[in-house]
Amino acid sequence: MVRLTLFVVMVSTLLLSSYAWFPRVKEPPYQLVKTWGGKGDAPGRFNEPTGIAVSVSEVFVSDSRNARIQVFDFGGNFKHMFGEPGDEAGQLGRPMNLTVANGELYVADYFNERIQVYTLQGQFLRAIGKPGAGPGEFNAPGGVAVANNGDLFVADFYNQRVQQLDANGGFIRQWGTLGETGVWAGEFNYPTDVAVTANGTFYIADGYNDRVQVFSSNGDFSHKWGGPLAMNIFGSFNGWFATVTGISIGSQGNIFVADFYNDRVQKFKPDGEFLNTFGIPSKGPTHTTIAVAVASDGTVFVADYANHQIQKWRPGKK
Amino acid sequence: MRKTILLMIMTLLWSAPLLAAGTQYKLRVDGLSCPFCAYGIEKMLIRTEGVESVTVDLEKGLLIVKVEEGVTLTEARLKQLVHDAGFTLRSMSEQPL
Repeated sequence: MVRLTLFVVMVSTLLLSSYAWFPRVKEPPYQLVKTWGGKGDAPGRFNEPTGIAVSVSEVFVSDSRNARIQVFDFGGNFKHMFGEPGDEAGQLGRPMNLTVANGELYVADYFNERIQVYTLQGQFLRAIGKPGAGPGEFNAPGGVAVANNGDLFVADFYNQRVQQLDANGGFIRQWGTLGETGVWAGEFNYPTDVAVTANGTFYIADGYNDRVQVFSSNGDFSHKWGGPLAMNIFGSFNGWFATVTGISIGSQGNIFVADFYNDRVQKFKPDGEFLNTFGIPSKGPTHTTIAVAVASDGTVFVADYANHQIQKWRPGKK
Repeated sequence: MRKTILLMIMTLLWSAPLLAAGTQYKLRVDGLSCPFCAYGIEKMLIRTEGVESVTVDLEKGLLIVKVEEGVTLTEARLKQLVHDAGFTLRSMSEQPL
C-alpha cells in the first residue's frame, strides 16, 4: 500500500511538473508578415540592430554598430535617422534596448554608460547617469523602462543590478547586489532590460539567469519564471530561455520576451503562464531575436541581430 | 634630382606603416555571439591604454586586438580584462604587425 501511494505521488508529481515545465502552445501561430533591412550603413540598412521600440505609428531601431537610431513606419518604410558615433551629448556608443514613453525616446547607451533621451523626431533632450558603480551610475546599461510618473528603471548590466531613478536621474533604490551575480529571487546575472506596466509592476529580463523576474510597484519581489524553478537552468523547451535579452508588454498586458540563443520570442501571461512562441531560426554563428516591441494592435516587431533586419509578425487568426 | 626626391618620399611613405607597426593579439573567447557580451569585452579592451582597435570575428569566435608599437599586453592582463567582462580566455596568440 505504501509502495502504491509512493508510486501515485511520484507519477502525479511528474505529470504536474511536466505540465508546468513543458507547457504547450495555447494560441494560433503568429505569422511573419515581412522583414526589412539587411547589412549596411545606408538608410534602411543595419549593422547589428540590438533594440526596438514603437510609438503609435513608428518603429525605432537601435542600429548599434552604425551608432544611430533609425525610424520607420509600420510598413517598414524608412522615415529618418539620428545619432552618430561618439560620447558627446546626443552621440551614441552602441545603443541597446529602447523605450518610448511620455512622447520621448529613451536609449540605453551601452558604451557611454548613460541613458539618452530624445524627442521622437530625434532631437537630443538630456542624458541621465555617468560611468561608475555608485548610485545613479552605470556600467553598461542594457535597457530602460519608464513609469507613468517619469521614474526610470535601468538594467545596469555589469553592475548586476536594476536601479530606479527619478526623471532627473536621482537615485531612488536598487535591486540586486552590486557586482555580484546570484540565482535567488531578487538577484541578477547580467540583467539586460526592464518593462513596466501602468500600475507600476515591473518585469526584468534577467539575462544570463535565463528567466524573468517580476516586482510589484512597492518594490517587493512578486514572482519569476524560466525553466525549472527559474534558477539559471537554460533550455529550448516552451517557457525555458537561453539568455533573455529584451522584454516588452503588449496592449493586453501579456509579456513578450526575446529569447536570444533560442532565436525566438516567447509570449506569456503576466503571471508567467506560457502562451506562444515564434521566430526565425539562426543559420549561425550568431542569433536572431535580440529585442521585441509590441504595437497597440498586437503587431510584434523584432530586432533580428544575426540577419541585420527587422521582423514584423501578426497574431494568428483564431 | 627630382627622381631622387620622389624616390625618397615614396620610400618614407612606404616605410611609415612599418615603423609604426605594433602587435596583433588574437583572443579566443566563448560567448561572443551575444552582443551584450561581445560589446562588453570590446569596450573594456578599447579603453585599455595603447589599444588601437578591436575587431570581433564571430565566425571564428575571435577578438582581434591591435596595439601601438611598444605596447605589450601580457596574457595575465588580457585574462583579467576578459574575466572582468564576464568570460574566460580560452587561448591567445600574438604576432607583430
